[in-house]
Amino acid sequence: MHRSNRVAAAASSRLARLGACAGFGIGALLWLPAAHADDAAGWLQQAAVAARQLNYAGTLVYQHDGRVETSRVVHMVDAHGEHEKLVNLDGPAREVIRDNDQVRCYYPDAKIIRIEPRTYRNAFPSLLPQQLDTLAGYYFFRKAEVARVAGLETQAYVFEPKDGMRYGHKLWADLASGLLLKAQLLNDRNLPIEQFVFTDIQIGIRIERETVRPTYRPPPTDWETRESLPGDVVQQDTGWLVKELPPGFSKIVEGYRTLRGKVAPVAHLVFSDGLVAVSVFVEPMPQAPQPIGLSQQGGINVYSRQLNEHLVTVLGETPGATVRQIAFSVAHR
Amino acid sequence: MVMGKFLAEPDADEPARPTELAPEEVSLLMDGELDVDRVDRACRGLRETASVETWVCYHVIGDTLRGGCGLAPGFAARFAERLAAEPTVLAPPRMRPAPAAVAWALAASVAAVGVVGWVALTTMPVPPGAIATAQQAAAVRPADVRRPVVNEYLLAHQEYSPTTAIQGVRPYLRAVATDTPDAPE
Repeated sequence: MHRSNRVAAAASSRLARLGACAGFGIGALLWLPAAHADDAAGWLQQAAVAARQLNYAGTLVYQHDGRVETSRVVHMVDAHGEHEKLVNLDGPAREVIRDNDQVRCYYPDAKIIRIEPRTYRNAFPSLLPQQLDTLAGYYFFRKAEVARVAGLETQAYVFEPKDGMRYGHKLWADLASGLLLKAQLLNDRNLPIEQFVFTDIQIGIRIERETVRPTYRPPPTDWETRESLPGDVVQQDTGWLVKELPPGFSKIVEGYRTLRGKVAPVAHLVFSDGLVAVSVFVEPMPQAPQPIGLSQQGGINVYSRQLNEHLVTVLGETPGATVRQIAFSVAHR
Repeated sequence: MVMGKFLAEPDADEPARPTELAPEEVSLLMDGELDVDRVDRACRGLRETASVETWVCYHVIGDTLRGGCGLAPGFAARFAERLAAEPTVLAPPRMRPAPAAVAWALAASVAAVGVVGWVALTTMPVPPGAIATAQQAAAVRPADVRRPVVNEYLLAHQEYSPTTAIQGVRPYLRAVATDTPDAPE
């Protein structure tokens, strides 16, 4: 854990610098690894770099549980780094704004703004070398068909799980830029359970900074801003552990964090197999009755159970059996 | 999904005859709260006694709470009959899904609905005749059946997930697309 924290911190600062020079178009050249597209980890890294370094604007369709939701996504890079805006086109006009590490979610229907502090997404590329064996050990990686998505030629890649503890992934990357244009989670019968797909997209275009600023700026005075305190995530040994971790998963983060609506700090452990992650939350059992058991939304499964005086909640982009197994093997040292 | 799992499980080597499950046991099993050493016996009980009716009833209540109850009486029995009559599909269908594939997809979506239903079941005692009450409840506050808390956890989880690194802000759609934004205070 401590080693990966250092690696994560180093990667973050490195990427912050790279983000600054990406405006001149050389960041990608510096950072692109000497990876082959046939190498799963190298390919994922390229997709991550493309998502981070390119300017693009498009219409994104999210399908899950028989629902279809459309949103507008704009991503741009300038001298200050990365800026991204996602606006729901159906239903309430909710939006997500990301400026480098900070993510803000606007819920106009509830008059709430949620501000997520520093995110750790930048840690991902540096974690990959550790996960190389995992990816190869638990997924078959193969190149699939060339297909058209959003009017562009893409190459499809498939991560097929070798056991029942993870979903299959099919990802379509733009041949010209490497950007992912379509992503599916597949169940054990190879049927999609969740899909993100661009229906139209422009890549490498000039985008004004104004385009990616929040619509509600400044927010109306009667809106509530829920902001986590700086230093929200305290990395430390929590004393909690998972006795029977599904094969291939290893711990990438452990610490306490404050969650809104929770009085006491919540222990948060994250495990990853290199492609997806599972979070374990442990907190004192709340006074109010809590939903217990399994629930699901698209590719996300959640399992909650009471463990003596504690509430254990396990959430991840994995099948229900995986989060359930983890939930039942959480213990205190 | 869940029922399929039970069907696929090998029979436990238990000599004891299965006995009728207590409703509490069915409820615990649905919630995954049943002691591990009792699960095999409970599954046998579901297969070999009338307890499965309780199981089905609880799921119907869950479905109704969610407002998605559209199955005719006796659906499960007819479905099982037709499924048994279907040939085993050894390869995934390419162009047009075979009837069995459609049936599986239906079973999967039914199971998913059941899964959501469990959550509601755990927070209240459920007499078998509760469907009318459940319908009223569903008419008043259907959103309660979904888990409003998930959002807090989901947002906290998302920042660490490799999917966020690969796809940028897109997976955050999960957090803004569904559920209520408000966590219970």
